[in-house]
Amino acid sequence: MVNYLIVLFAITLMYFSSAERLIIYIRLIGIQGLLLCGIAIFELKEINSANLLFIASETLIFKTILIPYLLFRIVNHSGVSKVSRQAMPGFYLLILSIFALLISVILANSLVNPYINTIYMAIALFTLFTGMLLIVTHKLIISHLIGFLVIENSVFMFSLAVGNKMPMLINIGILLDIFVGVLILGFFGLRLKPHINELTTLKD
Amino acid sequence: MALLLFFIISSLMCISIVLLKSKTITKIITLGFALMHIGFTFYCWTNLNKTELSYFTYNSTGVLLLSVLSLLAIPTVYHGFIYAAGDNVKKYNIYHAALIALMTFMSGAYLANGMTVLWIFVEATTLAVAALIYHDRTEMALEATWKYVFICSIGIALAYLGILFLGFIYGREDAANLSFESLANIINQANPMYLKIAFIFVLVGFSTKMGLFPMHTVTIDAHSVAPPPISALISTTLMNVGFLAIFRVYTLFSLSSILPFMNHVLILSGVLSILIAAGYMLKAKHLKRMLAYSSLENMGLVAIAIGVGGVGYYAALLLLVLHSLTKSSLFYQMGQLSRVLHTFKLDECGRYMKLYPAGALVLIIGMICILAIPPSGLFITEFMIFKAAVYNNQWFVLVIVILLLCFIIYAMSTRIMHIVFSNPRNENYQKSPEKINPVETVSQFLFLGIVIVMCFYQPPILVDLINQSISIFLK
Repeated sequence: MVNYLIVLFAITLMYFSSAERLIIYIRLIGIQGLLLCGIAIFELKEINSANLLFIASETLIFKTILIPYLLFRIVNHSGVSKVSRQAMPGFYLLILSIFALLISVILANSLVNPYINTIYMAIALFTLFTGMLLIVTHKLIISHLIGFLVIENSVFMFSLAVGNKMPMLINIGILLDIFVGVLILGFFGLRLKPHINELTTLKD
Repeated sequence: MALLLFFIISSLMCISIVLLKSKTITKIITLGFALMHIGFTFYCWTNLNKTELSYFTYNSTGVLLLSVLSLLAIPTVYHGFIYAAGDNVKKYNIYHAALIALMTFMSGAYLANGMTVLWIFVEATTLAVAALIYHDRTEMALEATWKYVFICSIGIALAYLGILFLGFIYGREDAANLSFESLANIINQANPMYLKIAFIFVLVGFSTKMGLFPMHTVTIDAHSVAPPPISALISTTLMNVGFLAIFRVYTLFSLSSILPFMNHVLILSGVLSILIAAGYMLKAKHLKRMLAYSSLENMGLVAIAIGVGGVGYYAALLLLVLHSLTKSSLFYQMGQLSRVLHTFKLDECGRYMKLYPAGALVLIIGMICILAIPPSGLFITEFMIFKAAVYNNQWFVLVIVILLLCFIIYAMSTRIMHIVFSNPRNENYQKSPEKINPVETVSQFLFLGIVIVMCFYQPPILVDLINQSISIFLK
């Protein structure tokens, strides 16, 4: 079951490369949250129930509901609907994404380890690369924020892999969500405009 | 018990500052915190290598860097009082509460004896620094804060990936808390490939804090906007936090077969840092950004010192201490310079010697010290690094670094001399210079004096502490 969820997760990542609208990005983030919640429930069989309940509910409430809701509000408020790529048509991004997947699979195969299975490692690495690609190839700072959320999901996935032996690592990884909160507050509290293309006041 | 008390009292101090809404009480509490920090450092000195609360150990490297923070505590608080004097009560209190929080988090990071606790405290410093960078509430402050939090978040996520890779290596109960001690016991069973990946992630992740290539940009922008006393902390003690995180992992992994790999990566990162610093300093137009690039250069030298090994280990730690004293003096001086000249733009700066001789003297002596020109103590450290490079046949690195340092000396000295003695290129007549009491420069002269004395005499207590920190490499 976990493997099916991981493959579904990988499909959402491929979708990121071809999507053109911010609203789809946000939905994908929500779906990824849901999938991670499912992976956590199926994967973490050895940890105690209270901890599992905490992890699953945190993932469901924060990653699946709260963050996508806040992002929806930002996008609705700003009126920006399309993502803006930096001189990078969607097709090339898709090609890069496929290369990233290929590299992830090769890397995962060369890093065989008793504590993490290969498919887990491959998709977690692919998530990391996709997040980085989103940040590098997009102009809008809201796209950068979504890129960071994808990287955060990658980290969470890695932490689930060792979660049975080291549950403390997952709980600590959840602290990263605090940063997501601060970043989103950057939009709300500090009135940062999501449609700003570049932040260039500070330069040499 | 003392550590728990320190954390509890610090938290109570932060809460009281926010709740009581009085500038006088804030001043008393902040000063009280600085004194408490000094007292706590003395306690750590007397209880070296003692473990408290399971997750903290007063080990030599941590106590060394904690002492530097303690030295800087009172001057930072003092210059903060002056900088924030004109603010309303809310801004004033947020500034000081965040300052206390930052110093507490940094202290926790210095003393953490495991990867996870160290990571938590490093993460926490980002939140405190963000509040401090945004102090002026301007568009530029907003941009710098956003960049700082965003890049630091990515860095922290990557560093966490490094920790997770450690978890994959040691996915077993006997090292589940990821303490350095338990990891060291089973290091030889680890797959070198995993160790290499973990090291790269940790280096890239924590370089956001150390201000080292490739994540150096984050601190540069933060410096140009942050209040000068905060720049003094970001550029010194916070960079020391980043260094410590990388150094702890380096020390741990040095017991394995990947030591040469780590050395090569550190040397590469160091040389690239100095290259970028030299390039940007040659075209610097903003004084605080130039000082920020100077910090990048010094962190590059620290990375190279660790990479070349031998006497370089000693030089790296001494360089960190002396750089902290020198750079903080220069950044404290920036607070006074902005009150006299009302700008940090180099084109609009000039005649500083005439307007504020004491400050100009600090700039000149600070420049000599930071550029490692004798009698600066930094000269000794750079000499040791070069010696270690020659000893390890790193001739190419040596030549490149010396060449780049020449560019840096030229770039910085011409700009500082212009500020001190020449007329500004673009005169700024909008505001008249503020009269500043030379007494405000006392702490700066004191720190620079210590740096110069260190060129001739290093107290045995400091030498012992550094030697204990690097004892694993001396065997």
